[in-house]
Amino acid sequence: MSRPDVEALVAAFHADLGAASDLAALDAVKRAHAGKKSPLKLALRELRNVPPEERPTVAKAINDAQAKIEADIAEAAAVLEARAIEAQIDREWEDLSLPGLAPARGARHPLTDVEWRSMGVLRRLGFEVVDGPEVDHPYYNFDALNIPEHHPARDMQDTFWVDGGWLLRSHTTTVQARILEERDSLPIKIACMGRVYRNEAVDASHLAMFHQFEGLWIDKGLTFAHLKGVLAYIAKEIYGDRPVRFKPKFYPYTEPSVGVDIQCARCEGTGVRDDEGCETCHSAGWVTILGSGMVHPKVFLEFGYDPDEISGIAFGLGTTRMAGVSTGVSKIKSLYETDLRVHQALHRGGL
Amino acid sequence: MHISTDVLRRYIDVPTDTPELRALLDDCGLEVKRVDDSSGIANFTLELLANRGDHHCYEGVATELNGRMGTGVRRPELADLATGESPWPLRNDTELCLTYTATLLEKTGDGELPADALRVLEVAGIHSLTAPVDASNIANLEVGQPTHAFDADAIDGTVAIRLSRAGEQAWPLFAEEKVELPEGTLVIADDSKILAIAGVIGCEESKTTESTTRLLLESATFDPVAVRKASRALDIHTDSSARFERGADPTRPLVGAGRVVWLLEQAGWARVGKTGQVGDWRDPQRTISMDTRLASTFLDLEVTTTLAAEILERYGFGFGTSAGHTLNVRVPPHRLWDVEFAADLYEELAKAIGYNETPIALPPVDLGALPAPWELRKRAAEEVLVGNGFYEVFTDGFYGRHVRDQLGLTEGHPLYDHVATTNAIERNYAFLKNNALAQALDCVQANAFMRNDQVRAYEWTRTFHPTTDARKAASGPHGQGHGPCFERRILWGITAGTDRPANWAGSQRPADVHFVKGVIAELGVELGTRFELGPIGASEPLVDLLHPGRRAAIVLDGERVGVMGEVHPNLVRSWKLKKQRPVYFEIEADRLLFTSAAHHGFDEPPDWQPIVRSLAFALPVKFEAGKVVDTLVQAAPDWLLDVRITDLFVPDDEDVRAVTYSLVFANDPADKRSSDSVNEVCEALVAEVHRRFDGVRQR
Repeated sequence: MSRPDVEALVAAFHADLGAASDLAALDAVKRAHAGKKSPLKLALRELRNVPPEERPTVAKAINDAQAKIEADIAEAAAVLEARAIEAQIDREWEDLSLPGLAPARGARHPLTDVEWRSMGVLRRLGFEVVDGPEVDHPYYNFDALNIPEHHPARDMQDTFWVDGGWLLRSHTTTVQARILEERDSLPIKIACMGRVYRNEAVDASHLAMFHQFEGLWIDKGLTFAHLKGVLAYIAKEIYGDRPVRFKPKFYPYTEPSVGVDIQCARCEGTGVRDDEGCETCHSAGWVTILGSGMVHPKVFLEFGYDPDEISGIAFGLGTTRMAGVSTGVSKIKSLYETDLRVHQALHRGGL
Repeated sequence: MHISTDVLRRYIDVPTDTPELRALLDDCGLEVKRVDDSSGIANFTLELLANRGDHHCYEGVATELNGRMGTGVRRPELADLATGESPWPLRNDTELCLTYTATLLEKTGDGELPADALRVLEVAGIHSLTAPVDASNIANLEVGQPTHAFDADAIDGTVAIRLSRAGEQAWPLFAEEKVELPEGTLVIADDSKILAIAGVIGCEESKTTESTTRLLLESATFDPVAVRKASRALDIHTDSSARFERGADPTRPLVGAGRVVWLLEQAGWARVGKTGQVGDWRDPQRTISMDTRLASTFLDLEVTTTLAAEILERYGFGFGTSAGHTLNVRVPPHRLWDVEFAADLYEELAKAIGYNETPIALPPVDLGALPAPWELRKRAAEEVLVGNGFYEVFTDGFYGRHVRDQLGLTEGHPLYDHVATTNAIERNYAFLKNNALAQALDCVQANAFMRNDQVRAYEWTRTFHPTTDARKAASGPHGQGHGPCFERRILWGITAGTDRPANWAGSQRPADVHFVKGVIAELGVELGTRFELGPIGASEPLVDLLHPGRRAAIVLDGERVGVMGEVHPNLVRSWKLKKQRPVYFEIEADRLLFTSAAHHGFDEPPDWQPIVRSLAFALPVKFEAGKVVDTLVQAAPDWLLDVRITDLFVPDDEDVRAVTYSLVFANDPADKRSSDSVNEVCEALVAEVHRRFDGVRQR
């Protein structure tokens, strides 16, 4: 038995390796020169035929050659893999200027967001949401709330009358009346929100249907100071640290009645914007956000409460207007239209 | 109301700085809507409180400001009218005339009203006419007492304040012809005609003109409701009616007449005789007992009787005998209509101090409340819809009568009858909606018009249904019923177009009934309620408005809770939709929100890879693929984990649908499940399907 020509085998390997231009070819080289049937493996198996005194030298030469081949293959594989990845990456270029394909989300109505945010504030004060009918008896809409028939205040709320002498509620205060009638324990802390109706011709800023949000807190010992405290808290939590002012108002079901203004954010309270009168606040520097008051003694008496024993805070947020302000929509009619371009633009921006 | 600072300063000293004055007016409940100082003199447009008729004049505004400032009010000059024998026959036939005065004047020479008085008219934007008319208007703006001047030579006999008779006619000023009055209207009449609709407007036949030389000046107080009824019935709204409707001051008629007479005396007119007066309501008394300790508690500051008296006096209140902490407050006649309770006096105290100056405190509050379960379920449902591209919209609670025709509803249809509005000013408000489909289709139509084919909208709303159900309609002021209708709360949604906008990858499919079915399934998953689709009942109100081959009832726990389906082609045409095939769904909101989530069990997922096999069947047309799913599930061993429909193919040349079912089996080495054993199960399942359904065959 002659000694294997390891150098020749290695040389043959290097010749094949140099010709391998991709991983598949390299794999063939690997099988040919490092596989079970490769010449070096066969040479190892034939070592027994090598004279014993030469065997260690020959074995070492074969093993060294094997190690060298495997190392060279690994090195070549790394190079070819990197080249293959590079080629793959090159092939797989995507035009990311194309629009994304994930399904687009829709959106809640801005008004719903305003209601949820407002209710979040009231929940911290312990208020719960209650509901009531939209078609109601005039008693709950007017008479129980100190608005008797032929009272001028009924003019403020041009009413939709429906079959049977009932009406579409003109304010959510109807729910307050029903709660006062139903509940017999204190405190009462409720908020009601929903649609109200006014028999008006629709234009950009007048709607025959819009939304209101009202709160009612009845308990012993509530005072005018508490009313202001609650109103200021609500204003701050919803609108942030902007100056607030209180002013006398008239609502038939509260006495005293209070309007709450916040400083106009557009003109920073100056009443002037771009050297002209601020349109948002009509140059007043203030924007009304809340109507409120202490529950009127007549309302308490109507439902059998003693106004000397208990008192109440009532307030209403113009959530429709708030939604308009928060979205920058000045013509609130568009918020009540089903033109989804408006909703998409409000949610996603642009048209 | 328009006021000018130069006129206002005749009555009270006010700040010269316009913003400061504006803030003061706002602070006193005289809300400024507009300021115009372009002429160098600030003119304010005020929005007056609905219960404060006394604010409708300069003297009233000054009195209100005096309550805050306490600087005193200057009153205009008045003629001192002595009452006595009436210069004209007067008769009051009704209690609705509270008090009535008549003063006779004659023209004795030429003259003009003072320029500063005419300035009042100019500020108010009222054109100057004749001296009597101008004087009446000026006095009303100054002291808040409407008056009216009749041409005395046009009056026939006794002036009577009475109610109109059936069929009686009057000729209101500025009207083109006579109008018939509702019987019982409060009028001023002579022996042959009506001279004025009391408190509202005079009449043509007794009006003063340039040639008038004798006039009878009326200054009165009428019942607010009577004036209001007449004003509304005739649709005539004047400054006079606005004033009387809010309740006038019973002591003012002589003040108003005194001011008119004083003005006319400057313009060449003279009184004849005394002023006649009828009607008994001249100085009613109302006293309110106020405990200043309660006032202190209410305002959270110390209110002494001295302080309270000082403030209330500035507003014109008087005082009876008071002791200790109790102040007996006499309500001035100009406040009789709005001050009735101690709380009304607290308001006066707060205004005088300033609403922004009284203490402020948050009441003691317990821990806040969490959202109720139904609120959280509503949010969760919205998340599903929004996540699937739906936008929330709000639609009106009503629509026009035309919708009934547009929906093709005929008498006898469950949606034919509506609750109607009885006084809607627009025809689109005629019916309360008893369905939401019409407005959902309006939404699709509006968007299609704007070339927005991708419509996905939802709404929480109510529909209104006429009812004669005594339980539901329990009427009466203290009932909890819903009167002429009951209200259904629903969640509706509509889709049109494709599941995503046209895109460069071409990966679209219609947002059809299958899409909506998926959305409803996701709602069920999110809310822990398993919705199923079932056959739609013939009594379902929407049944014939949906496509017969593409509609279903939405079922929860065996009970119908909604419907879904493609809109019927008839309606698609009715709404003039050319490309859209909208799919509509609605679910009873109460069932959606108030059903408790079911707690389904949890099985640990197997540790081993499942075994998956596909079976394809050719199904006859209109044979539901779900029936095969049901059969496979029923016939398979319990280690079948899932069956999914993974492909649907309709060959061009065959009258069948090819459906591929993917069966997922649990693999468990302990049971030594081989491929062969799974294949045997599949063969058995195919055989079972063939056995059950004649027309179904494996492909």
